[in-house]
Amino acid sequence: MTTDDHIVFIVDDDARIREALGELLASHGMRALAFGSAGDYIGAEKPDVPSCIILDVELPDINGLDLQRQIAKGNHPPIVFITGHGDIPSSVRAIKHGAVDFLTKPFSDANLMAAIDAAIAQDREKRSARAELGVLRRRYLELTPREREVLPLVVSGLLNKQAAAELGISEVTLEIHRRNVMQKMAAASLADLVRIAERLEIPITHSRRTGGTRV
Amino acid sequence: MMSVWSRRPHFLHLGLFTAAYVLGCGFAQALAIVPGTGISIWPPSGLFMATLILASRHSWPWWVLGGCLAELFSNALWFHNPLSVALLIYTGNVLEAVAGAWLVTWACRRPFRLETLQEVLTLVVLGAGIAPVASATVGSATLAWFGMQTFAAAWPLFWLGDATGVLIVAPLALAVLQNCGGRTQLSAARWMEACVLGLIFLGVAALSLSGHLPSAYIVMPPLLWAAVRFEFKGAAVALTLLALITVVFTISGTSQFVGDPEFQKQMQFALQLFLAISAFSVLTVAAVSRQHQQALLTLRDSERELSQLVDMVPSHVWRLTPDGEPTFFNKRMIDFLGLDVADLDKRGMSRLEAVIETIHPDEAIGFGDALRRSLATGENFALRYRLRRADGVYHWMSSRAEPMRDQNGRIVQWYGLCHDIDDQMHAEEALRRSERELQQLVDALPVHVWSWTPDGKLAYVNKRSLEELGLSGANFEGSTMVAQKLVHPEDAPEVLRTSANCLKAGDAFMMRYRRRCKDGSYRWMEGRCEPLRDQDGTIVHWYQVSIDIDDQMHAEEALRRSERQLQQMIDAVPVRIWSVRPTGGPIYFNKRYQDHFRAVIPNFDALGEPRIETLLQELIHPEDASEVQCTLRNCFDTGGGSAMRFRWREKDGAYRWAECRVEPRRDQDGVIAEWYGVSLDIDHEVRAQEALRERERELSLLVEMVPSHLWRVSPEGETTFANKHMADYFGLDVEDKPRMEAVFNTMFHPDEVDEVWDVFARCLRTGEPFSMTYRLRRHDGVYRWMSGRAEPMRDESGRIVQWFGLCHDIDNQVRAEEALRRASERLARATQAASLAELSASIGHEVNQPLAAIVANSQACHRWLSAEPPNVERAKITAERITRDANSAADVVSRIRALFRQTTNAKSSENINRVISEVCRLMADEIAAKDIRVETNLEPDLPPVALDCVQVQQVLVNLIRNGIEAMEAVVEGARALQIRSSRDDLHAIRVEVRDTGTGFKDADRVFEPFFTTKQHGMGMGLAICRSIIESHGGSLWTANDEARGATVAFTLPLATNGGSATMS
Repeated sequence: MTTDDHIVFIVDDDARIREALGELLASHGMRALAFGSAGDYIGAEKPDVPSCIILDVELPDINGLDLQRQIAKGNHPPIVFITGHGDIPSSVRAIKHGAVDFLTKPFSDANLMAAIDAAIAQDREKRSARAELGVLRRRYLELTPREREVLPLVVSGLLNKQAAAELGISEVTLEIHRRNVMQKMAAASLADLVRIAERLEIPITHSRRTGGTRV
Repeated sequence: MMSVWSRRPHFLHLGLFTAAYVLGCGFAQALAIVPGTGISIWPPSGLFMATLILASRHSWPWWVLGGCLAELFSNALWFHNPLSVALLIYTGNVLEAVAGAWLVTWACRRPFRLETLQEVLTLVVLGAGIAPVASATVGSATLAWFGMQTFAAAWPLFWLGDATGVLIVAPLALAVLQNCGGRTQLSAARWMEACVLGLIFLGVAALSLSGHLPSAYIVMPPLLWAAVRFEFKGAAVALTLLALITVVFTISGTSQFVGDPEFQKQMQFALQLFLAISAFSVLTVAAVSRQHQQALLTLRDSERELSQLVDMVPSHVWRLTPDGEPTFFNKRMIDFLGLDVADLDKRGMSRLEAVIETIHPDEAIGFGDALRRSLATGENFALRYRLRRADGVYHWMSSRAEPMRDQNGRIVQWYGLCHDIDDQMHAEEALRRSERELQQLVDALPVHVWSWTPDGKLAYVNKRSLEELGLSGANFEGSTMVAQKLVHPEDAPEVLRTSANCLKAGDAFMMRYRRRCKDGSYRWMEGRCEPLRDQDGTIVHWYQVSIDIDDQMHAEEALRRSERQLQQMIDAVPVRIWSVRPTGGPIYFNKRYQDHFRAVIPNFDALGEPRIETLLQELIHPEDASEVQCTLRNCFDTGGGSAMRFRWREKDGAYRWAECRVEPRRDQDGVIAEWYGVSLDIDHEVRAQEALRERERELSLLVEMVPSHLWRVSPEGETTFANKHMADYFGLDVEDKPRMEAVFNTMFHPDEVDEVWDVFARCLRTGEPFSMTYRLRRHDGVYRWMSGRAEPMRDESGRIVQWFGLCHDIDNQVRAEEALRRASERLARATQAASLAELSASIGHEVNQPLAAIVANSQACHRWLSAEPPNVERAKITAERITRDANSAADVVSRIRALFRQTTNAKSSENINRVISEVCRLMADEIAAKDIRVETNLEPDLPPVALDCVQVQQVLVNLIRNGIEAMEAVVEGARALQIRSSRDDLHAIRVEVRDTGTGFKDADRVFEPFFTTKQHGMGMGLAICRSIIESHGGSLWTANDEARGATVAFTLPLATNGGSATMS
């Protein structure tokens, strides 16, 4: 395991806990960054690597659960909650909002490490998905306006003729547009293109069936 | 030739001369009545001679030439002589004219005016008598040679003719030629006389010459009349007229001088004689008359001058008759008196009396007497008196008069002279006065004045001297001896010797000696003697002055003594004193300074008159020298004093600090006369000051660097100092007073500002030390807790001089305390209001934190140790942390225990009933919600108990809540909770909480920790309660009631000696 590969953020108001967790993670060969409060965490400069947060529920400024809600909007690392006295509503709420685990102090080494590993793997996955989507988005941005019109029609499953008619252009022209779209979006096949469109959340405006009825 | 040409006469004059010459020739021809006898009268000779007399000799050739031309012309017209004859005759004429003119001018030796008898005689004798000899001789010889006439016959006639011509024509010509420029004005009377005379003359001449009268010489009276009255002009004119009339009658033949041809020659001669005699007589008379007139004129002039002299002489001149009557005053006297002799008559008194009246009344009688006496005796009169001037002012006059006597010695007149001596009198008066004053001065002077003749005889001794020597004015000759005896015996020989030497050498001398006074004491005198010399340097007089200088001598002695003392003092004082001239040259250095210079400057004595700058340059440390130089020069330039500090070299070569002060001394006009300087060694002071400064700097640094606020306030409350720490805290500049004021006005937290100021003001007023805790506003607006203290500093009289304050930041400490207090409160509140479950959860959290850390660390430690190779270092660290955290956990537990067993400090004396009521009120809602009735049975007038209010409340809350929970299961019957307070015994108070619940099933174990009968609970409640009560020195127990429910009771001891009880 390389230390640079991932990082663990520890947010706990108790310095002893931060210290102990840092030491434990270090003994596991993990890099850790510790923060005394939610504010410190938010304000800090963080490396852009796969990571997770070990978050104490009781924090001096804002509650750990509130912090979870606050950062939920952005791309944040998966959270492993730790708490001095866990109650069921809190843990339920945390898990519901996507926390990887909810550990009660004192927790065992194995549980913690398992949770961390899971969290980092999850983040790694999310990151690669985000990266892939980013590539697709960049590709989509390279399309011409006409090609962007053509794409939904094609992935909706319309025939070339139907699509051409829809756009009021010749079938040959549509054919060219479609080829360009396939090429630019690096789609090996129409199925591939449909999957990409799905990832890009391009709305499917026409179904062949409805299109058929109109024709 | 050139000179002749340049001296040529006016050609008009030459022409006129030639024409007159020709006319004269014509006239002579007309008179040549006797055939063959030649000329009877030769007018040209007179003309020629007169012309040459008047003309300059250089022009004579011109006139000779003119005459030659005229004669030749006349010869051609009338004489018809051969040319040679004519020329020879003319030569004779020229000789005659030249000789005559030369002789006449030679004899008279002055411009010939024909005004005196001498001149007339000269003309007659030399001009008319001798000169014609030449012409007669030459002419007669010529005639004889050519055989015309015999020499003897021709010569007399020739001579007489020429002489007559000269006599008649020369005066006329001279008169005409001399008066041709000037116009003599004749009065009308003279004109009339001239006319009458002319008529008479013409009439007499006509009658006498025409033969009607017996003799031609009858014409002489009118002729002489003309000569007397009209002098030469009249004579000349009359003679000319006579000659003309004679010629006319001779030619016409009616003249007496016309006769028979044989007598013609005699007749001619008679005529010539007549004319010659007439001319001679007339000219002589005219000359006499002329001379007489001249004499008269001269007399008149001299008389006028004399009269002017008498009038103008600056004195009064007067004349008296022998009787004393004034007959003449000169003009000055008239002007002075404002009246003439004639005016004296108008007074109605004699002239003499009138004169006496003008004299000052003081002298009038004396004047009259003196004058009368002189008149009577004939003695000379001399008197001084005051005479009244016309304007009434009296002037001093000095008058003298002397008699004039005739041959018989009889007094004819008195002549007097009187001159103004007013100024002189005043001057004399002033002189007398000044002399008198001088005399008084000399006598009044407090000195002895003696004067000596050159041979050593006393000439004068002033009065004071005489008095003091006890001599009378009469015999001061002996004063020398007396004076010498009075001289102090010690001084006497010296005095004698010196004076003798000086008298011999003629030098002035001065000596001081003691002289005995009347009372026998000796006093110092100063004698000075100087000779007075005349122009030649011979000594005329010796003057000696002796002055009493005793006081002065004593003063001088005192002065010398004081000066010596001063000098000794100046030399003895341990400072260097010097003075210099305004130009910088030295005047004085005191001995100490000189010694200093000598020691330091090798060739100091050789320097002569060194300048102060040079000396200082040598003396002063090179670093200071330029500044000192500059300061000094600045002083000298501006005239202001100055003080400077510098290091100077000492004997041993070491430098010591010195201070020099310079001040100018000015004279009355404010001009700087001298510069004074004093230099003193201030090495110790400077070094002490340096040390002091260093110490001050350190102290200042200390004050600035001490991590507290230090400040100083005047008794009036004005901040006079704030250290840097404080200034930084407020973010202001120490120097910026106004802003400091503003900051100080807003520095306290609004919550405390009034209180702080009140306290501070009271402290300032009363002088009691100030000590407070308050918040201060930092420059960034943050308030921080400060502990401020201030104490006054008092002077000897106990008056407060300053307040010194210290203020240090206790914010962190306060906040820590605050946090702790809040945590305690929180916990207290939690235990007060929350269930025990929550309490235990809270405690659990506190304990779990370190436990979690311990677990994590121990796992890390385990991992470090089990790693390959084991990381012992890290393991050690983690192990240490485990220990630390475990201790921390133990601390938490003990803190929790401490929470329930607080020290007596927190205890206060409370009424237990009030605490119970409080708890009931606190739990009113909870109780109401459970539908439970609470009965309180509180014994009034219970003594107060020392207790921790919060803890006891906590116990009550716990007990009440336990009771409520115990009654939850009870369905039937009243749910009632009884709280009772009562006096247990003499030393304790007892509180009981009784419920009607299920009661304790296992009453023995209820106090064990973690024993619980409840579903939710940690089983800590009663254990904690018991520990709290026990910490108060009381006891808590439980008992089940017989019927149902349970009672929990506790006692609290009365406050007898609570402190020791709690500590057990």
